[in-house]
Amino acid sequence: MDPSRREFLEGTGAALAVAAVAPALDAQTPPAQAPAISVDPSVPRTIIRVTVNGVVRRIEVEDRWTLVELLRDRLALTGTKIGCDRGECGACTVLMDGKPVYSCSNLAVWADGKSITTVEGLVTNGRLSPLQQAFIEHDAPQCGFCTSGQLMAATALLAANPRPTAPEVRAAMVGNLCRCSGYNHYVESVLAAAGSGARSTGAGGQP
Amino acid sequence: MKPQRNDNAASSSPAPLKTLGHSTPRIDGVERVTGRAKYTGDVQLPGMLYARVLRSPHPHARIKSIDVSKARALAGVKAVITHENGQVVWGAGSVAGGTQYNDEIKKITKQRRYTFNNPVRFVGDPVAAVAAVNRHVAEEALQLIAVDYEVLPFVLEPEDALKPDAPKIWPEGNLALNARNEAQPNTQRRGDVAQSLKTSPHVFEDRYSTSFVHNAQMEPRAAVAHWEGDKLTVYTPTGGIANCHHDIARDLGIPDEKVRVVCQYMGGNFGNKNQNQDADLIAAVLAKQAGAPVKLEMSRKEDFIGMHGRWPTVQYYTVGVDNDATLTSLKLRGYSGMGPYRKNSGAMGGLELYKCPNVESVISPVYTNRTVSGNFRGPEFPQGFFGAQSMIDDVAYKMKMDPVEFVIKNMSRMSRDEVPYTNYSLDECIRRGAAQFDWKARWRPQPGSDPGPKKRGAGFAMMIFRSGLGQSSAVMHLDSKGQYTLFVGVTDVGAGAKTTMNLIAAEALDVPLSKVTVVWGDTDRCPYSVGESGSRTTIMTGYAVVQAAADIKKQIAEKGLPAGDAVLIASATPSPRLEGKVRSSYGAHFVEVEVDTELGGVHITKYTTVHDSGRIMNPLTAVSQIQGAAIQGIGQALHENLVYDARSGQPLSAGYYFDRVPTHQDAPTIEVTFIESDDGYGPFGAKSMGEAGIILSPAAIANAIFNAIGRRMKDLPITRDKILGALA
Repeated sequence: MDPSRREFLEGTGAALAVAAVAPALDAQTPPAQAPAISVDPSVPRTIIRVTVNGVVRRIEVEDRWTLVELLRDRLALTGTKIGCDRGECGACTVLMDGKPVYSCSNLAVWADGKSITTVEGLVTNGRLSPLQQAFIEHDAPQCGFCTSGQLMAATALLAANPRPTAPEVRAAMVGNLCRCSGYNHYVESVLAAAGSGARSTGAGGQP
Repeated sequence: MKPQRNDNAASSSPAPLKTLGHSTPRIDGVERVTGRAKYTGDVQLPGMLYARVLRSPHPHARIKSIDVSKARALAGVKAVITHENGQVVWGAGSVAGGTQYNDEIKKITKQRRYTFNNPVRFVGDPVAAVAAVNRHVAEEALQLIAVDYEVLPFVLEPEDALKPDAPKIWPEGNLALNARNEAQPNTQRRGDVAQSLKTSPHVFEDRYSTSFVHNAQMEPRAAVAHWEGDKLTVYTPTGGIANCHHDIARDLGIPDEKVRVVCQYMGGNFGNKNQNQDADLIAAVLAKQAGAPVKLEMSRKEDFIGMHGRWPTVQYYTVGVDNDATLTSLKLRGYSGMGPYRKNSGAMGGLELYKCPNVESVISPVYTNRTVSGNFRGPEFPQGFFGAQSMIDDVAYKMKMDPVEFVIKNMSRMSRDEVPYTNYSLDECIRRGAAQFDWKARWRPQPGSDPGPKKRGAGFAMMIFRSGLGQSSAVMHLDSKGQYTLFVGVTDVGAGAKTTMNLIAAEALDVPLSKVTVVWGDTDRCPYSVGESGSRTTIMTGYAVVQAAADIKKQIAEKGLPAGDAVLIASATPSPRLEGKVRSSYGAHFVEVEVDTELGGVHITKYTTVHDSGRIMNPLTAVSQIQGAAIQGIGQALHENLVYDARSGQPLSAGYYFDRVPTHQDAPTIEVTFIESDDGYGPFGAKSMGEAGIILSPAAIANAIFNAIGRRMKDLPITRDKILGALA
């Protein structure tokens, strides 16, 4: 396939994936951004097949790209953030085949054959997920920069353990730093979304 | 958690309002949880280049030569700048006396900082910058720059830096110059401390010290610069678009109206970002030279060593006490490590909390070859309050008194013992906190008396924080459909300013929240706002919103509602002043810890806070502020330290993992109670909030650790090794 043709198709796909969820929530949503970067033809590249937020893609990536570079810069899914780019903070957490991973610490080529879910994929049929709703109601995000990572970690937790205790939430999300330190509200939100809010009481942060 | 309200509190409790004072989710909550909120790093412009910065690997060195020819020749590189071809004075980067927001002082500042400095004065001082077609090429190009350094001797500790044989970081010496370019420590005196110490029956002396604590906001520093003709747009994480905008124009020597600064969402502030940064200037120069938009991104390590954090301190106290446990004298000799440039004051708060006739404070802000210090949430207080309130706590035990009783006996109820406050509730904060925490049951009269190996103890600290008034602006439009548009130059750094301004406008106009659209974070669209520093935005910009609303209501009364395409426009730039009074917020924190005397770990088992921040605009976000601040304070108390290797001058813990910021598992439940007041100033009586919660947290935790183990921990952070050492 002609590389320029392939890029065009992938760009359109990215735009459609975002547009499918946006209008139902907010008519003022800005249009999806064009892919920020194209592949550099002078470096090693690989074509991978990856499902991103339910959309199957065949896409050429540079071998040196991390997964978060692919998501943010190529697919314009900028909801996933880079906080440290070295596996310390969790701001870049996405789901890979349902498991939370640091997308800064995975190469894009390793996503070949996998299914990736980002924060943009949590809205279904124009509705926020119960976790997203609880995050708003309990004022979990302060600056909001760690929020998508916290959401992805919490989404994976509730899929595996629908009624976690507060210590279980803290243990599952320990890899997601929040410098605003809104940890209390994050834990409350997850418990509320799980319907186990009554178990949030009790002093002490450690399990 | 739901905040507890002051149902049975002071008679000054304000009457409830319609919109303010009710827990309201943020108006931009959907943007924050869907990834749609755009931060600086998310900005993508057509043809945009990526920039990287080469930084000094030496703590102190002279650059003999730089060869950028190979970097420039690399395919895809569009611009390379160094001190030879891209030099700009960074006015906010070093200013005499640490006096930000003052052009005159920036002009006369002798010890200037440039975008690229020679000599380089700390590991991380920028040496060169590259713009290239993508970040990989930019990083590759950095490797091709050859710098020939003459390595110079360096000094890391402020007390060492003042010794006569210390390496000189500046020709004038290592004591940072004040706002008049004089090498003088900051000195405050009242009464006669020397005489009083001679006659006091009890005199206590001790030394306390605190570490460099990095802001470590989650969003790594970035800047996007874009020239369209002679107009420069900069997207950058700044807490103050107006000040940042003016700083960029001044430093680049272009008119203010030729600069636009945009920052709507920002991934955490925590201080010293109400101005421009070198990244903004470097991106602007690269974009000019390359003829294309440039996005400069810093790595996490660069952010840790290239930006700023709380200044480390050394504090020597001498305290005189009468036989009846009344303070007679307070003396502090302090040293603050500023790094090699002067961004802020280097002050230490604490002594002003006490009523005492004889006070002397001599504080030396000192240059070192560490990374640069600056304001971090409650700039001079958490470190100063830790020293002062640990010292006084210790004196209370030595005078055989309950520390709460000793403090209530000796605290000042006037500002600096002289000027009355607009309202005063610190006694009430302490009393309520002690009751809710159950101080009498949790505090050990005999420190370290639990049988162990896990020992519990309780400690407390108090705080007073400035809540002054000042100038800020707001503009309001009303269209014929009844929709208001509020233009305010705030940035949403995390405290929720945008939502707060919407709430204040809705209250003042007596309309539903949705009838007001907020336009924010763009200097081309919004009037001056004071900026997100000093916990001032709600007070100052909020008051301007109240005034603009009053103006538009007056216009409606006079002219009626606008019809058709007509729009009513109101603006306000009030400069309210206090006459003969000081305005402050107050608070008290009570902490119970459990110390593992075998492994040295500290586990917080109860954390109770009581704050008076005036009328609470939005209890939901207010609780977030206090909880987050207290937990940040736990990090400062127990973990965080940008450690330097004494022999090489290299930073060893520049990142989240080794700096050890608090995680989910370090965060106890922070109980929050507000004592509300309305002193008649500010918007509906609002006072400072954002910084209030952190500044007493380290002191309260340290005092609780003493109560648990009977050993006074005098050096922050109180890590396991120090506790085990104290118990050995």
